Amino acid sequence: MSKPFLQIRGIRKEYGPVTAVQDVNLDVAQGEFLTFLGPSGSGKSTTLYILAGFEDPTGGDILLNGESLLSTPSHKRNIGMVFQRYTLFPHLSVGENIAFPLKVRRLPKAEIDAKVRQMLKLVRLEGFEDRKPAQMSGGQQQRVALARALAYDPPVLLMDEPLSALDKKLREEIQHEIRRIHQQTEVTILYVTHDQEEALRLSDRIAVFSKGVIDQIGTGPELYANPATRFVAEFIGDSDFLPCNVVSAGNGRAEIAICETMTVADIPLHGTASSGSKAALMLRPERLLLSKRQSESGLPVTVSDITFLGNNVHVATKTSKGNNLSVRLPFGHEAISGLNRGDAVWLKFDAESAHVFGQ
Amino acid sequence: MLLNLNRLGWWKLVLFGITVLTTAFLLLPILFIAALSFGSSQWLIFPPPSWTLRWYQELFADPRWLASAWTSFQIAIIVTVLSVLLGLATSFGLTRGRFAFREGLKALFLTPMILPVVVLAVALYAFFLKIGLNGTLTGFVISHLVLALPFSILSIGNALEGFDKSIEDAAVLCGASPLEAKVRVTLPAISHGIFSAAIFSFLTSWDEVVVAIFMSSPTLQTLPVKVWATLRQDLTPVVAAASTLLILLTVLLMVLVAVVRKGLKS
Amino acid sequence: MVSHTETDSGRAYAPTRVRRLTDFELTLPALVLLVLFFVVPVVILLMRSVTEPVPGLGNYVELLGSSTYLRIFTNTFLVSGLVTVVSLLIGFPVAWALAVMPGRAASIVFAILLLSMWTNLLARTYAWMVLLQRTGVINKVLIGLGLIDKPLPLVNNLTGVTIGMTYIMLPFIILPLYGVIKKIDPAILQAAALCGANRWQSLVRVLLPLAVPGMAAGALMVFVMSLGYFVTPALLGGTANMMLAELIAQFVQSLVNWGMGGAAALVLLVVTLALYAVQLRFFGTDRMGGR
Repeated sequence: MSKPFLQIRGIRKEYGPVTAVQDVNLDVAQGEFLTFLGPSGSGKSTTLYILAGFEDPTGGDILLNGESLLSTPSHKRNIGMVFQRYTLFPHLSVGENIAFPLKVRRLPKAEIDAKVRQMLKLVRLEGFEDRKPAQMSGGQQQRVALARALAYDPPVLLMDEPLSALDKKLREEIQHEIRRIHQQTEVTILYVTHDQEEALRLSDRIAVFSKGVIDQIGTGPELYANPATRFVAEFIGDSDFLPCNVVSAGNGRAEIAICETMTVADIPLHGTASSGSKAALMLRPERLLLSKRQSESGLPVTVSDITFLGNNVHVATKTSKGNNLSVRLPFGHEAISGLNRGDAVWLKFDAESAHVFGQ
Repeated sequence: MLLNLNRLGWWKLVLFGITVLTTAFLLLPILFIAALSFGSSQWLIFPPPSWTLRWYQELFADPRWLASAWTSFQIAIIVTVLSVLLGLATSFGLTRGRFAFREGLKALFLTPMILPVVVLAVALYAFFLKIGLNGTLTGFVISHLVLALPFSILSIGNALEGFDKSIEDAAVLCGASPLEAKVRVTLPAISHGIFSAAIFSFLTSWDEVVVAIFMSSPTLQTLPVKVWATLRQDLTPVVAAASTLLILLTVLLMVLVAVVRKGLKS
Repeated sequence: MVSHTETDSGRAYAPTRVRRLTDFELTLPALVLLVLFFVVPVVILLMRSVTEPVPGLGNYVELLGSSTYLRIFTNTFLVSGLVTVVSLLIGFPVAWALAVMPGRAASIVFAILLLSMWTNLLARTYAWMVLLQRTGVINKVLIGLGLIDKPLPLVNNLTGVTIGMTYIMLPFIILPLYGVIKKIDPAILQAAALCGANRWQSLVRVLLPLAVPGMAAGALMVFVMSLGYFVTPALLGGTANMMLAELIAQFVQSLVNWGMGGAAALVLLVVTLALYAVQLRFFGTDRMGGR
């Protein structure tokens, strides 16, 4: 990769005293599918709207192929976008909607017709060109919106939670469509969502947004295995946190004591911690081992609830300090048989699967 | 129960009875006037002794009736055009704007709708006497525009608030300039609001009496003023003929609205 | 497509600031119109009430102190109150019936409501002048039925005004009330029935309380509109039974007494605005102008 295709350089956005985006830096490769993941108000949509030109950044720059985009008004940026809400032009038919950007560009009619047909084929809606948006389902409308946004071959396609209004089944179906269309067109996609599953399913890389900054950028497995912050750990995958005391720390590793009875060494450490300071230990429910036999190396807990979840069984437990820890075990696991609420059990975990987050 | 037709029992009969009577109460005077306009009795005796078109002939033979109708029509059309244009600009500003005193401004724009018309009529009369606009077409247009504008702002404003700005943004990203996006996407999408604004503005001006009574001069009067002046003298059946034509116009307008609404929907 | 000039792109940058200014500017033409031809004239008129013929509150002392004017105020409030109460009593069952009626029947009633509302005000008032006169149909029918011997005086008095005004105001109370009742979830009344309420209890304890905000807002609107009504009282009430709006017109037109005209206008304005303030305070803005 010689020069990054799309560069976001120190973008800031302030609304009076409120800072929506603090300092976002990002390089996107051509053809990449990059997702902005984060809760509402984390600055992911604002960043997308700055890319679209609907908002002006307070500071920073955006470069496409090395040239700044900021001085170009929205309608000349040649960027495609699919919105969260349905934005088909209600008075135009499906075909006219897709033709709209081409007509605005004053392309010859034959070319427009050919392109509309090609786009309808791409989103698998051949034969729908004369329908009005009101006669289409939400999923179909978003597919038309996708066709309209791709009709003028934009170098970058922005998608702002395009599936949030759809139900789960339809959402998964269109996620597949989006993947297929991405592979087919090789367009660069920046996708905003608050749904971690959607982000993991679709993206090459994920940028996790929190409070106006990007906490971490990486592939799904990287974020899951090695979360840089407590926030990322909470957002990607399931996790529980236990307060712990740091015994010693150094070289990105820490030895910690939990519940005064147990010490574990060599746990990956994030943030700053020193001997004697307080920290949080993150444990993933699916990485915990549960044993009914007492053991010195196990953390003693009490079973507070057992829930059957199909192929998994969820065991809720409480430590002696009253902290909740969840354990997920496959259905039929021997440790569960005969397990009851109120039973005392012992939990073990591998140091590499846990993470300590300092202050 | 009370909102379920089948569970209302005999209450249903009472409710429907009142509704039928009220509907008749609302409809009968209108039908009655239409019938009387064809009656031969000078004293509006009902049922009329015989039928005639005499009152319509008198109406059309009198150039003052035609002149006042033409004046009313001219004023109403100019008011409609101006009201829709101003309403569009104002609604865009109020709906999209983020300036501080927006709510106060909105309230100010709607006040002419809630204030007693007679106060505005008297105030404008005094003001126009001073600046020489009394009895002029401009004077009529200005005063009717003040009255019509709130309806226009409300209709277009409502339509615009129901219109998702993202759709216009989508058009801009598609390559349309902000103005082009408004003309090609937003205006067609809020056309029902624009249409309502036009109808309300037209009716407000066309039917307006109170301000017009003060504004009119012997040489320039609107149709409602002509009716008013005639009624102050006697209850001539010519007014019944004029009223019937006005009712017919209302019916035509309602049909037009129904047809256009249907057309806009599909 | 990419060939835009320097100035073009330079202007398009930082559109937020530019756009905000433009939004306000868009409202300027209407604002100028309203200030020049609404605010200024009304203020001048009101000012004249304390400056003409001599500076001071003399006009108000005369207006509020004399029994002639007091009777006009009484007439105005009496008729407006009566119109409001009668409209409400008729309007509630009609709105209720409309809310439960099959769509086709309801649309016929709506069409008639609209026809009545949109028909020229003078045409409607004229109809009532003819219907209510001594030799009019109503008196004839009543005599024919043997209910009365002599024709009743139904016009040129407050009875005529009340009938004519109620006719005009009914749609204004039925339409908003219909909106309120239609929004009530029928499940709430099913729940009331399951709780053991009979129909009467459901009406008094559930449906009416739920409709009260709509009724109050509609009633207040009708009352305020009636207070300032001019045409119908002038034509149906005759010269002896004046209402406030006519008084203002008379001061200005026949008596050319701008001081008293301004004073009466101010009284009407203050009452109107005070009642609207009550409405805004208790029922929010959503009923204002049918939004």
